[in-house]
Amino acid sequence: MPRQANAVDFWRGFALVSIFVNHIPGVWYERLTHRNVSISDSAELFVFLAGWSLGLLVSSRSAPTNSALLVFRLGGRAVTIYAAQILISSIALALLASAAYAFDNPLLLEWHNAAAIFQEPALTHIGLVLLSHHLGYFDILPLYVVLMLTAPAIAMLDRFARPLLLPLSFALYGAAMIVPFTARTWPVEGQWFFNPFTWQTMFVLGFVLSRNIGLGAIVRCHIDWLRIVALPIVLVTGVMVVMNWFPDPTTLPEPKLLFLNGKSFLTPIRLLQFLALIAVFSAVYPLFAPHVPWLTEFMSSLGRNSLNVFCVASVLSLLGQIIRYRYVGSFVLDTAVVLVGISLLWLTATVSEWRERQKSQA
Amino acid sequence: MAALGGLLQLAMISPAAVAQSDRQLPTVSKECGEFPGADTPLPNSAAALRDRKQLKILAIGASSASMLGGTRDSMPLLEQILERSIKGLDVEIINRGVSGELAAAAAERLKIEVALNHPDVILWQVGTNDAFAGVPVEEFETTVKDMLQWLKKHHVDAILIGLHYMKQLATHDHYQAIRASLRRLVASEGVLRIGRYESTEILARTMREDGHPEPSNFGLNEAAYDCMAQYLARAIAVGLFAKPPPPPPPMP
Repeated sequence: MPRQANAVDFWRGFALVSIFVNHIPGVWYERLTHRNVSISDSAELFVFLAGWSLGLLVSSRSAPTNSALLVFRLGGRAVTIYAAQILISSIALALLASAAYAFDNPLLLEWHNAAAIFQEPALTHIGLVLLSHHLGYFDILPLYVVLMLTAPAIAMLDRFARPLLLPLSFALYGAAMIVPFTARTWPVEGQWFFNPFTWQTMFVLGFVLSRNIGLGAIVRCHIDWLRIVALPIVLVTGVMVVMNWFPDPTTLPEPKLLFLNGKSFLTPIRLLQFLALIAVFSAVYPLFAPHVPWLTEFMSSLGRNSLNVFCVASVLSLLGQIIRYRYVGSFVLDTAVVLVGISLLWLTATVSEWRERQKSQA
Repeated sequence: MAALGGLLQLAMISPAAVAQSDRQLPTVSKECGEFPGADTPLPNSAAALRDRKQLKILAIGASSASMLGGTRDSMPLLEQILERSIKGLDVEIINRGVSGELAAAAAERLKIEVALNHPDVILWQVGTNDAFAGVPVEEFETTVKDMLQWLKKHHVDAILIGLHYMKQLATHDHYQAIRASLRRLVASEGVLRIGRYESTEILARTMREDGHPEPSNFGLNEAAYDCMAQYLARAIAVGLFAKPPPPPPPMP
């Protein structure tokens, strides 16, 4: 039986729906996602909850007590996510190629960083396999793979040197921000959209805050006070986003990355605002969940099957972009694209859970 | 000719600058057709050349790597041509393209990249993604206009790389509307646009008139991108030495 609806699965489902919509640039419903009133967006939520899930897994009763087994299990999860990235990238390339042929428009072969694959396939295929070449909007799973590859180290640090985990994570974050450095792409020269050296902090924070020990315990103990501090941060930054009240980045002191609002480096303002946002919104779920059971169950079912749903959402959002290109986006078309897309995400979650049930009965 | 005339003005712009014999205007090969741009001055880049003998170029937008030309194993063709044409010039190219990104997102990122990298000139390939995503023309125009004005205020030159030519898109209303919008922006903001669409269209027409069938992916191969690098090199070289437009006459 799938686990009951809960806040973590609900917000994970929420993040997945937001990612699906935000990855269809120009779609009407894009203006309804929370990034329109928040500095951070669904990417932060997705990575944080991935870390949270890792924390739950490591601390669960079913987690192997043998460290080698735990490392093996977490490594296996990284391989699964890696395989998912390779699969959805291949499907995306096939979709772009199909659309280029169907609509007699070779320009579609250049869309979303696909040009290198079709023009220089030998090297770029190596890049795809090495995760050094990402298609546009297919760049969050490579980050997730890297984070899951570090998961065994995180779990071991947590087991044997817990006080070091967060300081080490923040030290790497600070260094990447101040030097600055990031991961390079290849063979197309460039940078990873999500800097893994800074985004690892979001993952580690999710991991640490999910636990009932250490920082997680302290936060739970003082959550009411934290929410009082967090609420004005959420409100003020919300106004800043709506009014576009951000300082000119050229006027900021050095090192500028510490002060500006940048998604690629997950700059401190984004990190702080996100933490404030979750402090506030963690209070909201118990208020509405009993009144809208259908919504909580729906979102939670997506969240419970997040990898499968994420993969399907990525492919569907690209399909949505192609449909909008072909038929020119309109409110009616956008409504159809989003409704059909979300229905298919639900179908993905339902089929995934049905398969799980079949397996457990066998 | 105006470009050559501008070139001769260099001595007037900077007596201490590079000697006349140390530079030559990059040519555009016959296969690439006519240079599809105007002789627009790049005053901030000219100052960088004069003061530092260095030019920092930031490329942003879709396919920004490919428009720089050349092969993987060598430095970008654009860099090669510029350094060959202007002796002693050190060209640094920073590629910050994010594929699929709309103009609005690229503009936000561009401000950050300018703050972090201090480029002299921006090569912004813009419009295709917005056209495909159906971004309203007014919204697109406002975004790009605001960004161009911001760049001007921060003493950064801008070169816009226009949309691709594709005969199949000649009847795509929104694609053509975005293209027209870019032309309006160039006129109102006085920036340089590489008219890739027009140049490729002319080449395609010439091919047809000569009895050669036009390949369906015309303008989307390595040769086409090398042409783009040649256009850009010429545009930058001309812009470095072009005479600034005369100041407007005093109001009566």
